[in-house]
Amino acid sequence: MKNSFRILTLAAVAAPAVFLTGCATGVQNPSGVPVTEMKADERGFVAGTGVESQDLVAVTDKMARGVLGIPEIASAKVAPRIVLDPVVNETRFPINKDIFLTRIRSQLNEKSMGKVRFLDREMMKTLERERDLKRSGQVTASSEPNVVEFRGADYFLTGKLQGLTTKNSQGTSDYILYSFRLTDARTSEIVWESSSEIKKQGLEDAAYR
Amino acid sequence: MLLRVQLLRRRFTATLVVVGLIAFTGCATVPDRPQVIVTGDAVVDGNAQRAAAPAKDRALWDFRVAASALRAANPAEAKLRLDEALPLIGGILANDAEAKRARGLFSAETTKTFIGEPYERVMAYYYRGLLYWRDGQPDNARACYRSGQLIDSDAEAVDNKSDYVLLDYLDGFASAKLGGDGSDAFARAQANAKGKTLPPYDPAANVLIFADYGRGPRKYSGGEYGEQLKFFTKDSAAYSATLAVNGETVVLPAYDDLNFQATTRGGRVMDHILAGKAVFKRNTDVVGNVALVGAAIAADNAYGRRRRPDGTIETYGNRDAQAAAVALGAIGLLSKLASAATTPKADIRMWDNLPQRLSFAALRLGPGEYPATLEFQDAAGSTLPGLTQTLKIQVEPADRDTVIFLSELKP
Repeated sequence: MKNSFRILTLAAVAAPAVFLTGCATGVQNPSGVPVTEMKADERGFVAGTGVESQDLVAVTDKMARGVLGIPEIASAKVAPRIVLDPVVNETRFPINKDIFLTRIRSQLNEKSMGKVRFLDREMMKTLERERDLKRSGQVTASSEPNVVEFRGADYFLTGKLQGLTTKNSQGTSDYILYSFRLTDARTSEIVWESSSEIKKQGLEDAAYR
Repeated sequence: MLLRVQLLRRRFTATLVVVGLIAFTGCATVPDRPQVIVTGDAVVDGNAQRAAAPAKDRALWDFRVAASALRAANPAEAKLRLDEALPLIGGILANDAEAKRARGLFSAETTKTFIGEPYERVMAYYYRGLLYWRDGQPDNARACYRSGQLIDSDAEAVDNKSDYVLLDYLDGFASAKLGGDGSDAFARAQANAKGKTLPPYDPAANVLIFADYGRGPRKYSGGEYGEQLKFFTKDSAAYSATLAVNGETVVLPAYDDLNFQATTRGGRVMDHILAGKAVFKRNTDVVGNVALVGAAIAADNAYGRRRRPDGTIETYGNRDAQAAAVALGAIGLLSKLASAATTPKADIRMWDNLPQRLSFAALRLGPGEYPATLEFQDAAGSTLPGLTQTLKIQVEPADRDTVIFLSELKP
């Protein structure tokens, strides 16, 4: 009976040992580490990822507040005319570049109560065609069509996205600097500039490494 | 005594039944995959396959359809498919339930969402880059080339990290076109060009030719249980290409080779996991064999016969041998079942319509339509018969570059 008990005990110990054979992979963080957002000046243990909607919202909110606060806008007697110039993307992330300026413009239009006006240069071809139709008399005009009424810009608003990437066995880290500036169209002076920086890092699941 | 023997027999039978039930737990039927009607159009068929495929295989079909669409001069479709795939392959896939299962002993690696090996992901960015450039966004194209080069930085050997020639070359070229300085990227590209001299950047060049030729690498599984991811590579006949247009011959040498890129990554972390699974499968199989043989021997000694004093023969049970037979039988059966259920096979889902060689050239052409002839040459420089293509290049009078994609491969 003692022998039977010993054999059964041995079997009970041996069975789990057999089943655990090969389970020790030696892989660190097998589940990966989810992406976490960090302060730009915080040192990460690995590196990050790309431009996301929360970044867009945070950055454009900050830029819109900044533009509205400068004396050239806040104290202007006549609402300055601003033209948006496409953002330049120097990061490793392909992005919809227009979306930044579109949101800044809509934020400014919403919050400025008419203190700034944006010139719709995207519509220029359509507007010119319409003006030519008026000049040729093909369509009616409510004002003298030969007088140039397209407004020139007082300021240009544009931006640049720049990035730094680190990748190693611990993961990927991306730092992105979003900088925007308002340039006086007459003097070329930069009357306002502001930037935001976001750093992200993550490590994918071991199954993808 | 006889009662005890019967009891042990019953226990042994009950153990077998329970083990059998456990083994078949989870053998739920999988719903049939919708049938796909093949039309012969690679884009239509690919999209139909994509729609029928499980969500984990969507990116695979996105890749395949994008390549077919590019070759079928359907850039809108290629863009659509790549834009579906890029957020997935460019993100960080962590805490993913399917990936966790793929790492488990009893699920195949193919359980995980397909994002491809680095050379496949690089090609998704490469193709998306040329489409961005075509849309007048060289900075977004540059972003794609930078992401591609970063993906390739995973290679084990230092010399093989981020060593795509064209990704750096085009990164610098985009910078030069945008009025920046592309010299650093050019120097990196030249350093990886293996003796080829790269043409200097011409920011005034307005026609960009992206060409690819040859058949790319194919995956297969090796090792005792197919746990090793391997690549079948065959040097394609086309070693170089030339494009005759507007009275000049533009040389399109092979700057990058996907066969080389696929086979120089080195080991994956997943390879260690699969190797562990293979060890488990082998060990449980061996233990199962040994235990079952032991159980058979023990069972052979479980009962004996002896003569009674009155001369009759009685059957008696050897309790130790019976217990050993039951225990070893259970271990053997469980081990064999565990071995059979372990799936160490490597994931060999592949982007199967990739080219082998990549080339690029930039030239200046005024607006208008140009007849052109594309020829491919073998290693000796002789033109390969049957591969010549005649085409028309339409240079738009626009403020953006004209991007032409040429391929030896059919859609």
